[in-house]
Amino acid sequence: MNEFWDKVGELFTTPQYIDSLLHGFLLTLQISFFAILLGLVIGTIVALVDTSKHTKWTILPKAICKVYTTVIRGTPMALQLFIMFFVIFAIRGFPQIIIAILAFGFNSGAYVAEVIRSGIQSVDKGQTEAGMALGLSKTTIFRRIVAPQAIKNIIPALGNEIVTVIKETAIVSMVGMYDLNMAAKDIGSGQNMASYIVPMFVAALFYLATVYLITFGIRRIEKRLRKSEMRA
Amino acid sequence: MSEKTLEIKNLKKEFGKNKVLRGIDFTLTDKERVVILGTSGSGKSTFLRCINRMEEPTAGEIYFEGTLITDKNIQKMRQKIGMVFQHFNLINNLTVMENLTLAPVKLKLMSAEAAEKRARGLLRHIGLLNKAKAYPASLSGGQKQRIAIIRAMMMNPEVLLFDEPTSALDPESIGDVLSLIREVADMGMTIMIVTHEMGFAKEIASRVVFIDEGRIIEEGTPTEFFKHPKTPRVQEFLKKVLY
Repeated sequence: MNEFWDKVGELFTTPQYIDSLLHGFLLTLQISFFAILLGLVIGTIVALVDTSKHTKWTILPKAICKVYTTVIRGTPMALQLFIMFFVIFAIRGFPQIIIAILAFGFNSGAYVAEVIRSGIQSVDKGQTEAGMALGLSKTTIFRRIVAPQAIKNIIPALGNEIVTVIKETAIVSMVGMYDLNMAAKDIGSGQNMASYIVPMFVAALFYLATVYLITFGIRRIEKRLRKSEMRA
Repeated sequence: MSEKTLEIKNLKKEFGKNKVLRGIDFTLTDKERVVILGTSGSGKSTFLRCINRMEEPTAGEIYFEGTLITDKNIQKMRQKIGMVFQHFNLINNLTVMENLTLAPVKLKLMSAEAAEKRARGLLRHIGLLNKAKAYPASLSGGQKQRIAIIRAMMMNPEVLLFDEPTSALDPESIGDVLSLIREVADMGMTIMIVTHEMGFAKEIASRVVFIDEGRIIEEGTPTEFFKHPKTPRVQEFLKKVLY
């Protein structure tokens, strides 16, 4: 057991190791952050198209959204990543990080769209009717009544999606990117520490700490949103 | 002067193959208090909800103060046609005060100060001024419905539609809500109300309308209707509900 802690010490004090680990961690955070952002934008747009009224102008956009969410949710993330890397962006010198962000962003967008759509649809119809009966416009009804209530339903599920993306980015090591997961493998390899257990244990802690922090943040937001409506 | 507030011609509503309204002709005059009766599923709520297009009619024409209601002008019309719902439909993410002032201020019918002043007056009148900053979740059903009624009044409507306003309430708060409706009626408001409260219907109505299978099959003054029903269907209905 002592040997284990010695190795942990070695990892954190050897500049080469800790630098690699932090480098990998930074890449994981960068891909996750921008992918989540992109996913939120795509997801919001898709959800709004999806929940909009059926007219002749929305038939095509609705169909495109439907195909998009079906394909993304029906195929493996790892395959989507490969397609992005080896088919769509098979361009020499194109920044890998951008390809990864696009792959994860497009993937996440489909799930975020579902989360937002079900959040909007779970708002009681009576709430919209109240606004309609008062003569308010559709925009006002959405902005002042539906959206604020939908957000409350959306936040917890969105938190799950954010956590999923962060963990899922670990597969970029499959296309040779040096993220936290890859760093752990590299540091543990024969030329370096020659032991996988410690770097992988530490990498796990990094993922866990990040996820925990985000879950904690989401809980706080959730609580605050709920409180504002129970005040007597 | 008896002016036509609403004129409805051959109103039909179908949900898929289900014909809920099969051609309703109806006129509502200013200051009238019409109670709509009928069994569940007769189409009486749908009839009311078609007037301000909570439901899109399948066919027919509705004139409000002489103007045909269309998709284009419905938003404007709704400002003058108040509605009170069975399930109150207070806006959950807004305080009581915000529920009352949102529409009149947003639609520029009143300044924010004037709306708030008016809302305070109405809240004080129904004894709920202390709830101005409360959210709907903390109110009882009776309180919610009374606030929903004054929310409709904030718009100074020409007519007020009540869709089973007491059906979701406990017996104790029914009395409170009914007396507020009575008060609104006494102020001279034009009213259409769908209800199952027979006693109240008898007392408040200037005209009773009975709907069965999507058609108006009988109408008349409360005395005529309750004492001397003409159609066998209404006689049977009254026998069941009055004893």
